[in-house]
Amino acid sequence: MRIAGAQLLDSREILPGQWLQAYHAPDLVAGARAGQFVHVRTGDYSGLVLRRPFSYNTIDPLAGTLTIHFRTVGRGTAWFTHLRPGDRIDMLGPLGRPFEVDPRNRHLLLIAGGLGIAGVRALADEAIRDGRQVTLLFGAATARDVYPSSLLPDEVEYVVATDDGSLGHHGFVTELVPGYEAWADQAFACGPAPMLRSLANLAASRRQRLGVATLGRKRGAGKTVPAGSPQARRKAFLQVSMEQNMGCAVGACLGCVVMTTAGTPQRVCREGPVFAAEEIAWEGGW
Amino acid sequence: MKARRRVVTASGTPAKRRPTVRRIKPAIAPIVRDGVAATVRRPAVPSTVTPTPAPPATPVDLAVDLGRGLVLRNPVLVASGTFGYGIEYGDVVDVQRLGAICCKGTTLRPRIGNPTPRVTETPGGMLNSIGLQNPGVDAVVEKYASTWAGWQVPVIVNVAGESIGDYVEVARRLEGVPGVAGIELNISCPNVGAGGIQFAIDASAAGAVTAAVRRATDLPLLVKLSPNVADVRPIARAIADAGADALTAVNTLSGIAVAASRERPLLGNVYGGLSGPAIKPVALRIVYEVSQVVDIPVVAIGGIAELGDVLDYLAVGAVAAQVGTAIFADPGLPVRLVGELADECRRRGLDSYRPLIGSALPKRAAPPSARGVEYRP
Repeated sequence: MRIAGAQLLDSREILPGQWLQAYHAPDLVAGARAGQFVHVRTGDYSGLVLRRPFSYNTIDPLAGTLTIHFRTVGRGTAWFTHLRPGDRIDMLGPLGRPFEVDPRNRHLLLIAGGLGIAGVRALADEAIRDGRQVTLLFGAATARDVYPSSLLPDEVEYVVATDDGSLGHHGFVTELVPGYEAWADQAFACGPAPMLRSLANLAASRRQRLGVATLGRKRGAGKTVPAGSPQARRKAFLQVSMEQNMGCAVGACLGCVVMTTAGTPQRVCREGPVFAAEEIAWEGGW
Repeated sequence: MKARRRVVTASGTPAKRRPTVRRIKPAIAPIVRDGVAATVRRPAVPSTVTPTPAPPATPVDLAVDLGRGLVLRNPVLVASGTFGYGIEYGDVVDVQRLGAICCKGTTLRPRIGNPTPRVTETPGGMLNSIGLQNPGVDAVVEKYASTWAGWQVPVIVNVAGESIGDYVEVARRLEGVPGVAGIELNISCPNVGAGGIQFAIDASAAGAVTAAVRRATDLPLLVKLSPNVADVRPIARAIADAGADALTAVNTLSGIAVAASRERPLLGNVYGGLSGPAIKPVALRIVYEVSQVVDIPVVAIGGIAELGDVLDYLAVGAVAAQVGTAIFADPGLPVRLVGELADECRRRGLDSYRPLIGSALPKRAAPPSARGVEYRP
């Protein structure tokens, strides 16, 4: 965790209201992994007192650059769109725990709902670099919100669903998942809470439906690893990147918790944002 | 040490000493403050020969005594709930350079806190309703006290409870624990034992809980006032009379926000506490009022984001200041404020920040002993 300056290189509105910005920030790129995030300060403390968390959308360690992808939802995100190339801002990162891919897995299923693409986008790069096969299932409301395939690595198989049927599968992206369950060794998702909840239900019932205990062999059978540990997550079929209103992003304020099945709230900024799907109490629990 | 002092002009050449210049005693004198020896440089010799600009490295005395032996090396604290247990910011913040750390609110039993969302930004501030999530006093002591004991910076444990018995029990368990330098009572909690009325909004309840904790512990005791009252002065007096060593003013202002759908309140708990620059005028007013009716030190908190805010609070009678919400945007701010405060003193030719305290308060003919005296507006 470091506080460092980041210089805006490029800022583009890639979709209506959605922006992709590239920053030169070598200190924040070093050691950063897919699933982690930066907490970015706005330049207007008089009105905007909180930093804004953004997932690493892409990480380029050689060039020392990172990109963030966001939608303008309020004054804070609007402030970022007014930045011009060359402007410097202040970022805190890398924060949170990354996605954990089991090293034996070859087939990764990525599932993104809308802006959730920003949460799993960097994992596609990481997985391709490591020689894995990646299928990305992407869900959006309409065709005009669909993430441009030109911004994805060529190796990714890209499957789209739209709620209104204007492009690809007509329906929710979760409806595409059963078709890939047998192929996928591990799945990673980011998106709206209802999408993640239904994916978690699918993952939980997958074992029975597919008639297998676990995929792969010698997967540490019989060994217990502490819940919430990176080892436990690595073994989980479905990992989800959770979203929550955030204050400090370092674990001090306890603003961004999610309830776990163990009955203890866990901090999205510190224990997350990536959790094994079975760790999360999807129906609340307070 | 030579008694003779060499007076140097701005050009760097020694000035001629005139016979009228009085010989002075050694410039360094040890000062003992509540058992803590501190070496403090006396004011620069008022020279009639040449005005000597203070060199940049002149030490400035920033130490502050909050009572009962709780002496902070500087008057900049970090506020409860914004700095966790002091370890979360890692090496982003050098905690040893802070005046003190007020840790996250601690209760007798573990609490899971409120449903989410728990925080949201508001114009110039934020609302939070964490709901006192914490692992309970025993776990806090077990997990963090040994770390705190190795620190120079004092850690003040913020304590919350639902009954006087809760507060007393937590205080007892903190008594004598190495690493625990003091207690700050958060009395803005509903008193479940007395029909859910907050301790902080009733003078007799606030006095009762303070007195009970006072009897239970010899630890330095701060009590945090709530701004959500019509007149905070009788409450502050009751707390001071009950034996608190210092007051913290103020806690968050009660507020709500509405979800974007306009279908429900935004926060999971509906109500939240407003903090940040938005509340500074309110907090400033309360510090101004309270510091005139109590004799004990007042620690100010509310929207501090720059040195000017600290100076404002000192001017209305606070002896120290807590930084809270601003840490989220600028974790380095509290440590930076310590340096800026010293620089400000040097700029004004002060060797202590104490002359800055109370400069904006009404001048009083009588010495400021208001304890037990009815307030007259």
